[in-house]
Amino acid sequence: MLNDAKARAIAIQGVLVLALVGLTALLFTTTITNLEARGIPIGFDFLAAPSRLVISESVLPYVPRDPYYWAIVVGIANTILISTLVIVFSSIIGLILGIARLSSNPLASGTCKVWVEVARNTPPIVLLIFLYSLWWKVLPPIGQAANLAPGVYVSMRGLVMPAVNISMQSIGWALLGLAGLLIGARLLRAFVARTLSLSVLALMSAAALGLWVANASIQVEWPVFTGFGFRGGIALTPEFSTILIGLTIYTSGFVAEIVRGGVLAIGKGQWDAGRSLGLSQTRILQLIIIPQTLRIVVPPLNSQYINVVKNSTLAIAVGYPDFLAVMNTTISKSSHAIEGLFIILGVYLALNLTLSAVANWYNRRIAIQER
Amino acid sequence: MKPLSAELAGQPMPPFALAALTNRARETVKLLFGSPLNAMLTLIFGAGLFAVVPPMTRWLVLDAVLFDPDPNACRAASGACWSFIHAKSGQLLLGIYPFDERWRPALVCVLIIALLGWSVRPASWKPRLLALWVVALMLVGWLMGGGFGLASVPTSSWGGLPVTLILTVVAIGVAFPAGILLALGRRSTTMPAMRIVTVAFIEGIRGLPLLSILYVASIMLPLFLPDYLLPDKFVRALIALTLFASAYLAEVIRGGLQAVPTGQNEAAQALGLSFWQTQRLVVLPQAIQVAIPALANTIIVMIKNTSLVLVVGLFDLISSGKATLADPAWPSPAAETFLFVGAIFFALSFSFARFSDFLERRARVRY
Repeated sequence: MLNDAKARAIAIQGVLVLALVGLTALLFTTTITNLEARGIPIGFDFLAAPSRLVISESVLPYVPRDPYYWAIVVGIANTILISTLVIVFSSIIGLILGIARLSSNPLASGTCKVWVEVARNTPPIVLLIFLYSLWWKVLPPIGQAANLAPGVYVSMRGLVMPAVNISMQSIGWALLGLAGLLIGARLLRAFVARTLSLSVLALMSAAALGLWVANASIQVEWPVFTGFGFRGGIALTPEFSTILIGLTIYTSGFVAEIVRGGVLAIGKGQWDAGRSLGLSQTRILQLIIIPQTLRIVVPPLNSQYINVVKNSTLAIAVGYPDFLAVMNTTISKSSHAIEGLFIILGVYLALNLTLSAVANWYNRRIAIQER
Repeated sequence: MKPLSAELAGQPMPPFALAALTNRARETVKLLFGSPLNAMLTLIFGAGLFAVVPPMTRWLVLDAVLFDPDPNACRAASGACWSFIHAKSGQLLLGIYPFDERWRPALVCVLIIALLGWSVRPASWKPRLLALWVVALMLVGWLMGGGFGLASVPTSSWGGLPVTLILTVVAIGVAFPAGILLALGRRSTTMPAMRIVTVAFIEGIRGLPLLSILYVASIMLPLFLPDYLLPDKFVRALIALTLFASAYLAEVIRGGLQAVPTGQNEAAQALGLSFWQTQRLVVLPQAIQVAIPALANTIIVMIKNTSLVLVVGLFDLISSGKATLADPAWPSPAAETFLFVGAIFFALSFSFARFSDFLERRARVRY
């Protein structure tokens, strides 16, 4: 009996399932009795009740009178905002760092190496708390805000920069124009010789750009100091700026290593082969090097981006109201722990799966087409 | 380095050391300004470093108060206040542990760090090492918690570096074998129930941020578990960290297992090895060898993750730093304190990264 692999497998699995069922039953009954003892009903009805939560800042409009579900949506929007910005900025900085680390220039590669090692080996929460403590110590009060660039001011109360207001209409026109250009380029590629198509494309895009600029109502709103604070422009709170800067520094170190690995993985022979086929430097990059690098880089980048979403929960260390912070106060205020747990689980699962789905779609697009 | 260049060859040779020096200087100049791109990079990075390094050095060293125990010296100085770290090092590193018993957590730190240093030597990788660790951890538990002749100290008074070290060592030490079991369970072909359970566990944990798991462990678990089964808050955080680490390590180990050809498995079976013998002697050594870089990355992330326990109210290094800063006698040098805390974490994870580099090189030499 014990020597029969099949019987043993069934026995082990039976024990496993029994243990799980037992544990679940224990958890369930204890929770029910605990909840009854404290007089807390189970159900999602509480979501419609006014929350009276204080959310210090949000992209979506919010007042404490709003119901719980809206507070949660506001938290999700905050998480999405900070994650998106961190992903964009850390990708750009990481790309630059990763390539500069490969430079033959010792000054460039050395500086980038130090940046990457420090960013990768410090806990992000320490980085955030450190930056937040600097914010109050180093920066001047708002009356003497430092002017970093035209229209960009930094002070103890946060960062202010000019806002670019583009009317919805002109965005629509720009998108339409872009779509037209892309379709035109495809058609031209299919029917006309390449050099001709390129010049026509250049002409068309110049014309479209001119039309767009002429048609668009782009307004730049400059921040103005009024004695109490800045009016106009985009104002970022110290909390938001700290998380944005801290997580961007942290993530850029990882992106840099991924990029460096991707570039190093392409052998020198690929460049030689491209040259021997008579391709120009840019064509080699475009046709041979970049497609192969992308294939190596996309999967690890995706998991890094998912980490950004998870790391955005560290916002709690400096008091920025992200989704988890909102859920935490929701649970402690409404005592609906189990429902709250399910909402947390569902939202992070949905966010991460969406990111993975986008990355997988892109990965399939750039994968080797095997016939 | 390149040999002496051509134009030097015809001239009378300068003394050797000088030649090497000029040669090296020429090489450096060539590297820095050899091409337009390099010259531009040098200018950009040089300007950046020039803007950052001198003021940083002034603040960090030149204008800083290093050892003066008088808090007013820090108020007067324009640089960093290192004397605060110096004067408060006991509280920073050991937290709110009872003052008279501080030798115990200090001894625990020395013990764990010494044992870690001992364990990285390939010569000490014997079954004896595992026994040594078990004994050491029991000793650590006794020293920290008390009993058997020592004054008892509850976990709520533990703090600082020993907490960080214990969380790191125990969480990773337990999560590693657990991760191996989970990975094997996930790859099982004969036990579908086992596979479903392990997949659900691994993917569920990996889908959630660590903070939310810590919240569940520290805040919601009292609601879910009967009182007689409810562990201490410290232990709950430790379990949460361990579960989290085991799910991530399981995926890395699974990647390594996939890289081992099936022929290895079949050959081991043909030799009459049992399942566990096959795994222990044939498959796992190869799988872990392949997975070393990814394993090291995951473990470094886990070392950094222990810092998150501060959010659920455990007294790790960051919290004890914050508590120390509350002393009104000092001008609250927050930046210096968190630099110090960050440096400790950096030392831990950076030295582990170097250790993994060493393991990788060693693995390469053997084949």
